[in-house]
Amino acid sequence: MLDFLQSLSDGVLFGATYALIGIGFTLVFGVMHKINMAYAAASIGGAYCGLLILKVMAGAPPALVFFCAFLSGGVLGAAVYVTCFHFIPLSSPLATLMSTVGMLLLVDEIVVHATDGMPQNYPAMFDDVMLRAGEFTMRGDLLLVFAVAVLCMVALLLVLYRTRLGLATRAVAQQPVAARLCGIRLERVNVTTFVITGLLGGIAGALIGASVGTLSPLLTTPLTVKGLIVTVIGGLGSIPGAIVAGLLVGGFENVLQLYRGVTERDLYVMLLLFVFLTFRPGGIFAPKGGRD
Amino acid sequence: MLSRHFGGVRAVDGLDLKVEEGQIFGLIGPNGSGKSTTVNVITGLFPPTAGAILFRGQDIAALPTHRRLRAGIARTFQNIRLFGQLSVWQNLWVAQNSAEDQARQGFFARWLGGQRGVREEIRQLLEFSGLAHKQDELASNLAFGEQRRLELARAMAAKPRLLLLDEPAAGMNSEEIGQLRERILRLRERGVTILLVEHVMELVMGVTDRIAVLNFGQKIAEGSPTEIQAHPAVRKAYLGGEGK
Amino acid sequence: MDFYFGLAQVIGVHTLLGLSAYIVLLTGQVSLAQAGFYAIGAYVAGMLTVLGGWHLVPALGASAVCGAAVACAVGFPALRVKGLMLVIATLAFGEGVRLFFFNFDYQIARGEIKVGPLGGEGFRQIRFFPENGWSTLEVMLFVWLFVVAAMALLWWFDRSRYGTVLRAVGEDELAAQSVGINLTAVKVSAMTVGGAIAGVGGGLYAHYTTHIEHSSFNILVATFAIAYPIVGGLRSVFGTLLAVVFVQGFLIEGLRFLGDWRNLLFGALIVLAMNLRPSGLLGTRRRA
Repeated sequence: MLDFLQSLSDGVLFGATYALIGIGFTLVFGVMHKINMAYAAASIGGAYCGLLILKVMAGAPPALVFFCAFLSGGVLGAAVYVTCFHFIPLSSPLATLMSTVGMLLLVDEIVVHATDGMPQNYPAMFDDVMLRAGEFTMRGDLLLVFAVAVLCMVALLLVLYRTRLGLATRAVAQQPVAARLCGIRLERVNVTTFVITGLLGGIAGALIGASVGTLSPLLTTPLTVKGLIVTVIGGLGSIPGAIVAGLLVGGFENVLQLYRGVTERDLYVMLLLFVFLTFRPGGIFAPKGGRD
Repeated sequence: MLSRHFGGVRAVDGLDLKVEEGQIFGLIGPNGSGKSTTVNVITGLFPPTAGAILFRGQDIAALPTHRRLRAGIARTFQNIRLFGQLSVWQNLWVAQNSAEDQARQGFFARWLGGQRGVREEIRQLLEFSGLAHKQDELASNLAFGEQRRLELARAMAAKPRLLLLDEPAAGMNSEEIGQLRERILRLRERGVTILLVEHVMELVMGVTDRIAVLNFGQKIAEGSPTEIQAHPAVRKAYLGGEGK
Repeated sequence: MDFYFGLAQVIGVHTLLGLSAYIVLLTGQVSLAQAGFYAIGAYVAGMLTVLGGWHLVPALGASAVCGAAVACAVGFPALRVKGLMLVIATLAFGEGVRLFFFNFDYQIARGEIKVGPLGGEGFRQIRFFPENGWSTLEVMLFVWLFVVAAMALLWWFDRSRYGTVLRAVGEDELAAQSVGINLTAVKVSAMTVGGAIAGVGGGLYAHYTTHIEHSSFNILVATFAIAYPIVGGLRSVFGTLLAVVFVQGFLIEGLRFLGDWRNLLFGALIVLAMNLRPSGLLGTRRRA
């Protein structure tokens, strides 16, 4: 029982990073009705860029590395938008899907090329801190991951619901044509969405690096799949859904890792997805009935 | 008594329509009165919230859309929905799904055979809609009026007994409306029953045998075109409302 | 010369993979499950020849049947979800199959050694071709026999009413339904045919490489499967073939002299190709 609780809590804490990635997929979907397949790769890429600060400034504090990853994520988000979305007509959804896949491969290869395929150590904070309650523990670095992720989500929700920019974004997500007629510049909203999701991705990548201890391009595929699964379980386009689903998937996979081992773990995550697709295809917060 | 609600919106509420075989039946009403929803419910794009749809004595409310077509109900769309990247000819070819066509051809001939068996029928449809010279053109390259004609021909390719026309005259000039009227009358001569949803009074009053008027999802009047034109509730809700 | 025959084998098998996605794409569905059917075909054919001692041809038949059956079974529930949801659902299915084989052990002793799939170690010693003394040229011709057959089949479909109906569904599902087309039947049948073709492709792949493992069927393979028809354009089966030659022949083999840089160029060229020709290399018809 203790093992179970321990796994569950570690998993849920780590699941906060899945939630961030899920939010990124879901936001782009909400605004553009497209999947940005390059998103998880760009997030890991952002985390790698964060490491660059260590080259310039040896011994930079981890917080600075995280911040750099955050900023580079935003830059990469804008780059993905320009290369994969800006010039491709909206009527060619397959082309955007393919171009983002190409971008995924490109980002991965750049990382492999720049690091010679070697995993890189990633700095962590509070990894020597351990909260204890009897046998039950909470790792300080995981708590930090969770706290930072929650902070980012709160910041995102504030941007979306308390600023004009967020209002425009939500308007575009709901009624793109009407929003444009009201003078909202679609183009700008799209870029902003990509930058915001990029920033979130960069920090998520850094948090993953920090909690795993190393960063490797091998992380991108599972992260892409988990991120998409989180998006579907939460309901395409739903931010609260992505948050809950991220924590759920994190906890679920860690518990199954405890009972079934690391190789079978992901198989059960896929099954979880199919359970949702069959019984609740609209996601956790699917509206009951209604139009269409 | 047919109803279709969207959440709290009662798009069609307790509607009772009876179309006699061989009739041209007009369905009119202001925008948002539930005309298109009625067509969509009859063809099965939305299930009815309550009520039955009887077609030749059978309740078809539970049949999926493609089965209703085979039973003999075809339609056109208010905003034209052709297969744009298929040729005019192919648009008609894929639409030959009547029960009769299915029974006539064997599985292989029907699905994997060439175009031989069906040529004559499609030629007649092309002739009927005046598109014979455009048969190899992509549907998306046709002019607006031609697209409307092709869509009507595509609905006819299924050899329907009941044809639902959802605002077929929208966007047409009066010459084209005249041609459309001719075509609708010729279809009736072939024994096709027609439910015509339309805004253009010139067409509705000219071809229909009987008209029902909808407002807020409910029928407010029914009768012959002359009766409807004189009906006070109709004038108030619809004709008067639009200044006619 | 063997190098070119070997390359032709790769191109042949990838063409089958691409064609299996092509027919599904015609109906407007993006399926990332093709790598899963490909994996099933590979393991089924490999197990039948190695463990069951079958001849390769009936084993490939079994691959086709298994691929088709699983595709049909996946098709029914998966095609209820649309668009991007389907992309994700099929992606997860493909990953599920890969993870299944990652955990799948079934070994029997054959003389000194044990043969059969062994989880993460993979499935080694699929030695039908070397045991029967086939030359690389013969293997290549054998592979292309199936490629030509599959291309001819799909080419024929494209000319038949069936193929036209597939395209009609891809254009506008609502209109297709309203002219009496049974969407489920059409989509599931396309998925089934695609599953059979991918199954055969996987069976051939397992035998020419002689060693398969779960990572041979990862998301990258699934992406390649849909990339070929998308890059080549959906106008005809030859677009898919052209794209495979372009990707496997030019981008992967032709640019080998670039070393590491080749991989970088690869992603960049896909991005560039999609920006310049959003409807594919051979796709000139554009929506008005």
